[in-house]
Amino acid sequence: MKLSSRYNRVNILVSLLVLLSTGVIYYVVIHFILTEKLDRDLRIEEEEIRAYVQKYHKLPLPADFHDQKVIYRMVSPSDTLGRSYSNSIYLNEKEHEKEPGRRLTTFMKVNDQVYEVSVVKSRLEAEDLVRIIFLISLLIIVLLLLTLFLVNRFLLNSLWQPFYHILDQMKAFNLTGKNEVKVAQSNIDEFVELNQAVLLMSNRVKEDYTELKSFTDNAAHEMMTPLAVINSKLDTLLQTEGFSDKQGELIEDIYLAVGRLSRLNHSLLLLAKIENNMIKNEEPIHLKPLIEQKLRQFQELLQSAEITVSTQLADKEVLMSKYLADILLNNLISNAIRHNVKAGRMLVLLTSDQLIFRNTGIEMALDGGRTFERFNKTAASEGMGLGLAISRQICNHYGFSMTYSYEAGLHTFSVNF
Amino acid sequence: MKLLLIEDEQSLRESILAYFSAEGNICELAVDFQSAMEKINLYQYDCILLDLTLPGGEGMEILRALKKLNKKDGVLIISARHSLDDKVDGLNLGADDYLVKPFHLSELQARVTAIVRRKSFDGNSTIIFNEISIDTIGMKVMVNDRVLNLTRKEFDLLVYFTANQRKVVTKNAIAEHLWGDEIDLSDDFDFIYTHIKNLRKKLIEAGSKDYIKSMYGVGYKFENI
Repeated sequence: MKLSSRYNRVNILVSLLVLLSTGVIYYVVIHFILTEKLDRDLRIEEEEIRAYVQKYHKLPLPADFHDQKVIYRMVSPSDTLGRSYSNSIYLNEKEHEKEPGRRLTTFMKVNDQVYEVSVVKSRLEAEDLVRIIFLISLLIIVLLLLTLFLVNRFLLNSLWQPFYHILDQMKAFNLTGKNEVKVAQSNIDEFVELNQAVLLMSNRVKEDYTELKSFTDNAAHEMMTPLAVINSKLDTLLQTEGFSDKQGELIEDIYLAVGRLSRLNHSLLLLAKIENNMIKNEEPIHLKPLIEQKLRQFQELLQSAEITVSTQLADKEVLMSKYLADILLNNLISNAIRHNVKAGRMLVLLTSDQLIFRNTGIEMALDGGRTFERFNKTAASEGMGLGLAISRQICNHYGFSMTYSYEAGLHTFSVNF
Repeated sequence: MKLLLIEDEQSLRESILAYFSAEGNICELAVDFQSAMEKINLYQYDCILLDLTLPGGEGMEILRALKKLNKKDGVLIISARHSLDDKVDGLNLGADDYLVKPFHLSELQARVTAIVRRKSFDGNSTIIFNEISIDTIGMKVMVNDRVLNLTRKEFDLLVYFTANQRKVVTKNAIAEHLWGDEIDLSDDFDFIYTHIKNLRKKLIEAGSKDYIKSMYGVGYKFENI
C-alpha cells in the first residue's frame, strides 16, 4: 500500500468520524436551543392569559389567539399540578395539516373554578430550521472530505516527487557503470537530508568497490607471482641431472598441484570479473564453426578417451564476447569428456534457440539444484567444480539460461538463448 | 640471442636467467622501471621480456617508449594479469606476445624463439637441427631431403622441442602448449605419450636419429646425440 493512500485512508476516516460527531452534537444543541425558545414563547402566552384572567375574571376566547391553540378544560381542584411541557400534534386549521407542536399545560383558577389550560404552538418552523442546518452541515462535510481527498492526492504526489526521483536514481545505480547518482534540488528538509545520505552512501560504496577491485587485482598478482616462482624453480630443478623415476613422480605431483592452484586462481578471478560486468567487447559469434573448431581442438582428448561424438548443428549467431564464448564451449566440452565413461558418447545439438550437450556418465542423475554451485563436484571428479559455475555465470551474463537434466542415461546440459 | 628481462621478482628473474643463459644467450636484467627505460634507450635487443607491474612505473609505458623510439625489438609481455584488456592493449602497443604467469620456462623459451624468428631481418624462417630442417612458414619438415608428413600437433611439438633443446620439458608444459591453457585439461597427461610416440616413429622412419628421450617419467628431452 502506498504511503499516500494509507495516509488518505486514515485521514479521511478520522475526519469523517469527527465531522459526524460534530454534526450530532450540533443537531442536539440547536434542537435544545429552539425548544427552549418555544417554551419561553409559550410561557409568555401563559402570562398573557393570566393577566387577562386577572383583569376580566374570565378566560379569553380560544379563537382570539393566532398561530397557537388554546384549550380549556375544567378539572377538579384536587388535580392541579404544576406547569409542564410536552410534544404534541398541532392542527393547522388554515392548511388543514397536522404539524408537530409544543404544548404547555398549566392550571388557572377563574371564579373558583379550576381550568386546565393547554397552549400548543407549531414546531414546524423550528424543525425546518434544524433540518436546513443539518443539510448545510452535511454538505460542508462532503465538500470538506472531497477537498481533503483531492488535496492529499495531488499535493502529496507532488510533495513526494523528490523521493521518487531519488528512488529511480538508486534503482539505476550500478557499481561498475559510470552513471553517478544525480539528486533533484528540493527545499524540503527531509528530502535534502535523504539526498545527501544517498549521495554519501553511493560514493562510499563506489570507493569501497574500487578498493576491493584493486585488492582483487593485487591479490591475483601477488598469488600468481609465487606460483610463477614455484613453477620456474621446478623447471630449473628438472634441468639438473640425475633424478630417479621416483623423484620424477614427486616433481610431477608438485607440478600438477601448482597447475591446479593457478587454474583455480584464474577461475575465481574470471568469475569475479563476469559478475562485476567487467568483460565487454561483444561481437556476433557464429556458434557452428566455433563448436566445430573446438571439437577439432579436443580431438586428441576425445580419441584417447574413446568418446564418440555426434553433432547436429544449425547456424546460430549470438552476441557475446569471443573470450567468454571460448570459455563456455571449452567448459561444456571438457565437462562432457571428463565426466564420461570409457568408450562413451557425446552429443552436441545446436538449434536456433538451444545449445545442448549430452553425454554418458555415471548412471545417476546429478543433484539438479547443486550442479551449478561453486565447488560442487563428485568425489571422483578431477576438476575444481568451477567449470559449470563459470558456464552458468556466462549464460546469465548474456541473459541465457542453463539447465541440467538426466534423460535416458544421458546427462544433458542445455543453454537456452 | 640478446635478451632484456624486465622483472621485479628476484627468484623468477634468476630462474629465467639460468634457463636462457645455459643456451649461450645474452640475458640482461632490469629490476625496475627506471633501469628498464635506460636500457631500452641505450641498447638494441632481439627480445624484451616485460613484466607489466613494475616498481616505479607501468610496463605499458615502456611499450609506449619503445614505439616512440621507433625500436624494432621484439616484446613478450609476462604478466600476472589474466586480463583481456591488458592483452589487447599490450598487443596494440606493439608487443608481439602475451604470456600469463605462472608459465613454464619451456613455454617462455618457445615463445621468445618464435618472436625472434619472426623478427629476424634475414627472413630466416627455417630451423635446422642436424639432418632435420623445419620450414616454419610453409610448415614443412624434411629429414635428409625427405619430406615428413606430420599432423599439426606433431609439427608444433617438434618446433617446441627444437626451441627447448637439451632441456627437460614436462608433459603438462607440452599439453598446455599444444592445447592452450584455457582448455581445462584433466590431470592425466598420458595421451601426450601417443603424440610423442608417433612423432618419434615418423622421424626415425625418415632416417633421423632418435633425439627424443623420456626423462624420469615426468617429461622429455630433445638432445643431440
